[in-house]
Amino acid sequence: MQKRPRYGLYAIVSLSVLISFFPIVWLILTSFKNTAGIYAWPPQYWPDPFTLDNYISIFTNSPELLRYILNSFIVGAGCTAITLMLGGLAAYALSRLRLRFAGMLMVGILAVSMFPPVSLLPSLFQNFLNLGLLNTYTGLILAHAGLFLPFSVWMLASYFATLPVEIEEAARMDGMGFVRIFLTIVLPLSWPGFVATGLIVFIFSWNEFPLSLVLMTQNAMRTAPVGISLYPGEYAFPWETISTATVLAIIPVLIITAIFQKQIVGGLTAGAGK
Amino acid sequence: MASVTLKQIGKSYGVVTAVEQFDLDIADGEFLVLLGPSGCGKSTTLRMIAGLESITTGDLMIGGTRVNDTDPKNRGVAMVFQNYALYPHKSVFDNMAMALKLQKMPKAEIARRVNDVADMLGLTAYLERKPAALSGGQRQRVAIGRAIVRTPEVFLFDEPLSNLDAQLRVKMRMELQELHERLGVTSIYVTHDQVEAMTLADRIVILDRGRVAQIGTPREVYEQPATRFVASFIGSPAMNFMPAERAGDGWQVTGTDLVLPGFGQLATEADALTLGLRPEHIEVLPADAAVNDPWAFDATVKLAELLGADALLNLSVKGQPLLARVGGTDFPQAGETVRIRVDPARLHAFDPETELTVARAAQH
Ligand SMILES: Nc1ncnc2c1ncn2[C@@H]1O[C@H](COP(=O)(O)OP(=O)(O)OP(=O)(O)O)[C@@H](O)[C@H]1O
Ligand SMILES: [Mg+2]
Repeated sequence: MQKRPRYGLYAIVSLSVLISFFPIVWLILTSFKNTAGIYAWPPQYWPDPFTLDNYISIFTNSPELLRYILNSFIVGAGCTAITLMLGGLAAYALSRLRLRFAGMLMVGILAVSMFPPVSLLPSLFQNFLNLGLLNTYTGLILAHAGLFLPFSVWMLASYFATLPVEIEEAARMDGMGFVRIFLTIVLPLSWPGFVATGLIVFIFSWNEFPLSLVLMTQNAMRTAPVGISLYPGEYAFPWETISTATVLAIIPVLIITAIFQKQIVGGLTAGAGK
Repeated sequence: MASVTLKQIGKSYGVVTAVEQFDLDIADGEFLVLLGPSGCGKSTTLRMIAGLESITTGDLMIGGTRVNDTDPKNRGVAMVFQNYALYPHKSVFDNMAMALKLQKMPKAEIARRVNDVADMLGLTAYLERKPAALSGGQRQRVAIGRAIVRTPEVFLFDEPLSNLDAQLRVKMRMELQELHERLGVTSIYVTHDQVEAMTLADRIVILDRGRVAQIGTPREVYEQPATRFVASFIGSPAMNFMPAERAGDGWQVTGTDLVLPGFGQLATEADALTLGLRPEHIEVLPADAAVNDPWAFDATVKLAELLGADALLNLSVKGQPLLARVGGTDFPQAGETVRIRVDPARLHAFDPETELTVARAAQH
C-alpha cells in the first residue's frame, strides 16, 4: 500500500506547536528587548535593539534571584524524594498486596487531591506557625509532598500494574519476602516509572504558587515563581526583569528534564515473558 | 520427592466458585496433568498447590505434611510459569541461582549446581546473557532450569509451552518427557492442549467449569469418558454426537431416518439418549460392501478434506451428518456413495439430562 504524505496532519501539528510555544518564545524574546521595545506599538517581534542589559542588570540589581532558584531546587528535590519514597511504597501495597480496601483507598486518595490547594491554606498556616515550620525548607517540602503524593501514588500504581505479576510470584517461589521483592525486583524494573513521576512532581513543585507564597514569607526563603512575581515595579510592571528572571528560572528545569529524559526508556521488562 | 494429596480442596472468590471441592492423590514420581478449557480452574488449582493462592476449603498435603498455611518457598515446590517470568534485569546464571542464593548456599556449590543444570539444558553458552537476548525456547529452558536447580519435591507447570510455536512445542514436550524420566520428580502440569496431556500424563484430571469431570489415565479418558464433556474434549476432531429416541429394540436418531440396532444392556430406562461416535471409529467401505450387516449404512460424501496422512469425510447418513476420519490418500470424493460400518462397542451413550455416560453391561 502506498503511503501518502499527510500534509494536513503536519499542518495541524505545526500550528499547535506554534501556538503552544508562542508564549515561551515571546518570553525569551522579551528578555532581550529594552523597555521601549517591550512597549512598542505595533508590537515588536524581533528585539531591536537586541540587548543583554536585562541579564546584566538582574545579576547586579536583584542577586536574590539565584537564592530563589536555589530555594526552589531544594524544595523540589526534597518533595520529589519524599513523594517517590512514600508514593512508591503506598502504590506497591495498594496494587499488589491484595489489601481489602485497596480500591476504596485509591478512590479516596484521588478524592482528597481534588480539593484546591488554597483550601488547605488556613489550617496549614496556623499549624505551621505553631510548629515553627513557616519559612523553613522542611515546612514547604512537607506541604508540597502532601500536595503531590496522591498524584505519585496513582502514577506509580498504574506503572506497577504494567509489570507482569508472575515475576514477583516467581520471586516468592524462590523465597523472597515482600520487602526484598520490592527492593530487588520491583524497583529496578519500575525505574522509568519512578523517573517520569519524579520529574513531573519536581516540575509541579517548582511551579507551585499559593502554598509557596503563604508559607515562605521571608524574602530569602521565597521560591522562584513567588520571588519573581513579587519583583517591585515603581511605575509599571517590570516586564523585562520578570521575563529575564523567568527564563533563568526555567533553565534548571530544562536541564533536569534533559538529563532524565534519556533514562525514561521503555521496555525494561523485555525478556521477562514472551 | 513426595506425594501430593488434595483432600476436598476447593476455592471460591466471594460468591464465585472457581474450583469445586475434590479429592486427588498424586503418587510420588507421577506426572499428573490438569486439563480443561479456559477458565475451568486449572491455574487456580495449581496456584493453590504452589501457595500463591489461599485454599478456601480442604487440606493440602505434600509428602504427608499439611501445608495449607506454609509459605511457598517452604513447600518444596518449584513452578514454571506460562510467560516464563524470568527476572529481566538479571543474567541467566543469576536467574537460575536466585533461589539457592536466598537459601544461603555456598557460592561454589551454587555455581556447580547451576552449571550442571545449564549443561543438561544446553544453556551453558548463554549463562551471562540477559533474558531479553534469548529466544522464546531458550527462555522457557531457563525457566525450567530455574525450577530444576532447586531440586524440588514437586514441579508445577502452568501451560509452559503455550507461548512457543508448534514445532518448538513438540520438541520441548519431548524434552520435558525425557527430563521427567531422568529426574523422576512428581510433576503437576496444567494445559488446555489435549495432545500435551495425552502424551505427557500418567493420569489426567479433566476440569469442566470448576468441577472435576474425570480422573484417569490417557487411555481411560479416551476410551471410557465419564461425561459428554470429556468425550467431546478428548480426541480430535471431536466426537460426533447424535440425539436419539428409543424405537423398539433400537434407537432412532432424532430428526433422521437413521435407526441403529439395540446395543448392549444400557443401564437406563430413559427413552432418549445422546449417542457419541468418534470420527476415527467409523469404518468407510465401498458402496456395495457389508450388505447384510445391521451395523452398516449407506452414506453420501458431502465434503472430503485431505489432512496429510489421513482425510476427513463429511458424510450424510440418512439425513444425519457425521464426520469420519479415514487413513491414506485414496479416499472417496465428494458426491460419492459409500457404506459405513459402526462398531457398537465403540458407540458411546450419554444421558441427555445429566450428560453422564450411561453404563452398559459388557457384551464383547
Ligand atoms: N481473583 C478472582 N476473583 C474472581 N474470580 C476469579 C479470580 N481469579 C480467577 N477467577 C475465576 O476462576 C476461574 C478459574 O480461573 P483459572 O485462572 O484457574 O482458569 P484456567 O483454567 O487457568 O484458565 P486459562 O486456561 O484461561 O488459564 C475463572 O472462571 C476465573 O474467572
Ligand atoms: Mg490458567
